[in-house]
Amino acid sequence: MEASATHLINAPGPAGGAVKGTRLGALSRLSQYLGFAPAAALYGVFFAAPMVIIVMYSFWTQNGYSIEARWTFENYQSIFSTAVYVDTFLTTLWMTAAATFATLAIAFPFAYWLARYVSRRWQRPLLFLVIVPFWVSYLLRVTSWTIILGNNGGLAHLLGIFGLSTPSWFLYDRPAVIFVLTYLYFPYAALTLFAALERFDWRQLRAARDLGATQTRALRTVMLPQIRPGVTTAVIFVFIPILGEYLTPQLVGGTRGVMIGNLVDNFFEEAQFAQGATVAVLIAAVVVILLVVFRRSLEVGEMYGR
Amino acid sequence: MAGETDGVEIVARRAKLVRGALTGWGALMYVFLFAPVLLLILLSFNDNRYGSFPITGFTTKWYSSVLQSPDLQTAIKTSLLIAAEVTAISTVVGTAAAFPLVRSRLRFRSALRVAFTVPIMIPGVLIGVSLLSFFSNVLNLQLTTQTAVIGQSIYTTPYVLLIVAARLEGFDRGLERAASDLGANAFQRFRRIVLPLIGPAIFAGSLFAFTMSLDEFVITYFIIGAQITLPIYIYTQIKFGITPAINAVATILIVGSLGIAAVGGGVPRLMRMVSRWVQRLLRARRARLADAGLT
Repeated sequence: MEASATHLINAPGPAGGAVKGTRLGALSRLSQYLGFAPAAALYGVFFAAPMVIIVMYSFWTQNGYSIEARWTFENYQSIFSTAVYVDTFLTTLWMTAAATFATLAIAFPFAYWLARYVSRRWQRPLLFLVIVPFWVSYLLRVTSWTIILGNNGGLAHLLGIFGLSTPSWFLYDRPAVIFVLTYLYFPYAALTLFAALERFDWRQLRAARDLGATQTRALRTVMLPQIRPGVTTAVIFVFIPILGEYLTPQLVGGTRGVMIGNLVDNFFEEAQFAQGATVAVLIAAVVVILLVVFRRSLEVGEMYGR
Repeated sequence: MAGETDGVEIVARRAKLVRGALTGWGALMYVFLFAPVLLLILLSFNDNRYGSFPITGFTTKWYSSVLQSPDLQTAIKTSLLIAAEVTAISTVVGTAAAFPLVRSRLRFRSALRVAFTVPIMIPGVLIGVSLLSFFSNVLNLQLTTQTAVIGQSIYTTPYVLLIVAARLEGFDRGLERAASDLGANAFQRFRRIVLPLIGPAIFAGSLFAFTMSLDEFVITYFIIGAQITLPIYIYTQIKFGITPAINAVATILIVGSLGIAAVGGGVPRLMRMVSRWVQRLLRARRARLADAGLT
């Protein structure tokens, strides 16, 4: 009696109570996964299969404007032996790192303020405000910055008051790309960091201070270990999407601000499928490796569950 | 003794300073966030025909030109149609998958959860080019709005899935068991217990999918063929110099989105707050009037 009761409690799925015979049990065990069926179909056919094709393309031979099923490593060799492509890859990595660092550096004090100094009833509306800019088209948010930063823009007027002019090295170059990416990904970082800081018990900081720790030491040894998963999540969830950005570099980066995503786009526009696929596979590899390495410390539910 | 109080005071003063600095930083971040948005709204009323500085005068003609541009209207219509389909697909597929993700006896639950974020995390360019190759080289399909719907669903479904799953996690299964004990069948349990409890999450997820779809450019651009959505229209406008009509569309969109959010429940709370505040003001006023012997 007791055994069957526990069984009932552990029974899976809404129909789990019906576990009696072994055949029915097997059926219900299978039926608990039934919900995955539509997703499996959608992602099997339209995500996994196309990705497999891209991987295959990266090992096939480009022939003029079409691709042939002759297996080769030549695409990878040519990408890795062409200085421009290697440079773009390395530039992309440091630009992504810089943008990620800048995003977290400005989002952390913000999230800290929101979690610690803002009263509960104002936290929700203020968080809501952080998401509002998302409703303005991505493209327009980016071009709006080109108006602000441009020769004729608001910043030029502001600097003009002090007799300065807008630096020519900023817009349509790498700094503008990093700046705009920082702007675009700030909300992601702010929300994730806030979720981590919200759970922190601030009295622990005071306790550490009472026991003689300096402010810095209290922050580092008491707070940081507790919010580390949240910080990791923020870093990964900002770094990875930025790595594959191609629209912002295209709009504000000029010729020097090109990132690796632009290479994929350019190759495919020129019908160079093999090389385009090769670069795509390299990006995907970095993304998947990062996700696998950090899978345990990622707080996916925190990120989207609010 | 006196030195100790001084120390406390110094600490308190420093804490106040830190607090003030951080509050200033918080305010600055909101300026940073909203500067480009407010600029767009400002420029949508600007008489300058290049949609940028300088400010030459106030006009609403860009709003009427939006209503008169057939291209723009077609683009908006296409975008809304695609968004509706994408929302339907990702809501059904995402919600269905959220149940086994949370409730079945999975061994690799957290790994699977991270796997479901891959379509969000992987750059849109990759989804775009891989689907382009798949549709045109393998399936030999004509690229239409329907291929775009599929591509966008790949990207939006995980959001619904993760939002609904997060809600299901905090769900008390005892409620369903109680309903079952009271004789409710599977359908009744779902209809009366599960749906009302996770309904808000499903709604939030589908709203998310809808807005994501409306703004999706990268994937769509590769696989929509000759059709034009709103972001694609904006993109072509940007390429040939921005027209102020686009700023007007952006303004309409953000007001519309805020409207949708109001329906979604963000603003009712704000309204309650405002009404409470007004009531308190009125009460204080009445009290003051009473004090003055006027009532």
